[in-house]
Amino acid sequence: MELVTADLEQLLRAAFPEATEVRVSDRTGGGDHFLVEVTSPRFDGLPLLEQHRLVNEALAAPFASGTIHEMRIKTKGTG
Amino acid sequence: MSEVGDRIKDVIENEQVVLFMKGTPQFVMCGNSGRALEALRAAGAPVTTVDILPDPTIRQELSAVSGWPTIPQVFVKGELVGGADITQELAESGELRTILEEKLGPGYGDGAEEHVVDVLSGTRA
Repeated sequence: MELVTADLEQLLRAAFPEATEVRVSDRTGGGDHFLVEVTSPRFDGLPLLEQHRLVNEALAAPFASGTIHEMRIKTKGTG
Repeated sequence: MSEVGDRIKDVIENEQVVLFMKGTPQFVMCGNSGRALEALRAAGAPVTTVDILPDPTIRQELSAVSGWPTIPQVFVKGELVGGADITQELAESGELRTILEEKLGPGYGDGAEEHVVDVLSGTRA
């Protein structure tokens, strides 16, 4: 389980190198339902839809493979 | 595009507020769909729901139209608002009401009814 959250965090850090916070938690302990939190200056002034789209894109591969069954996204700007 | 794809586009373009969900308002089959539905109800939105579960084609065609990978998906006046997290966040901050007012007019909640569209048969109830 921890391996999966660490892997997902790594993908997010690669996609958002400027992020001030990247956190992935396993919501159910089952290793496939996650809460993803990203705080980045890139989100400043960006509509919520586009913020979530960037996170979805960063995690498209584990989504397609079924590693992620479900995830909740919480994004924040730094401004 | 298939007949189902055309019906999905029709619903998005012609219904004021659309929620593509797993299940129906009577039988919600997924917590995220339930969260989006509750957020829309709390804002008094006239929600039209489409159940994506009866056929995998519905979900495929929907994501092809919207460019959004997950379910649920909420549209207001033809425009994608987002999934469950965004809809809930906008409802809690009060922004959802603002969006609904801007797009549907200030009286959008008056006599708001819920409808269910079946995109396989094209029926609306």
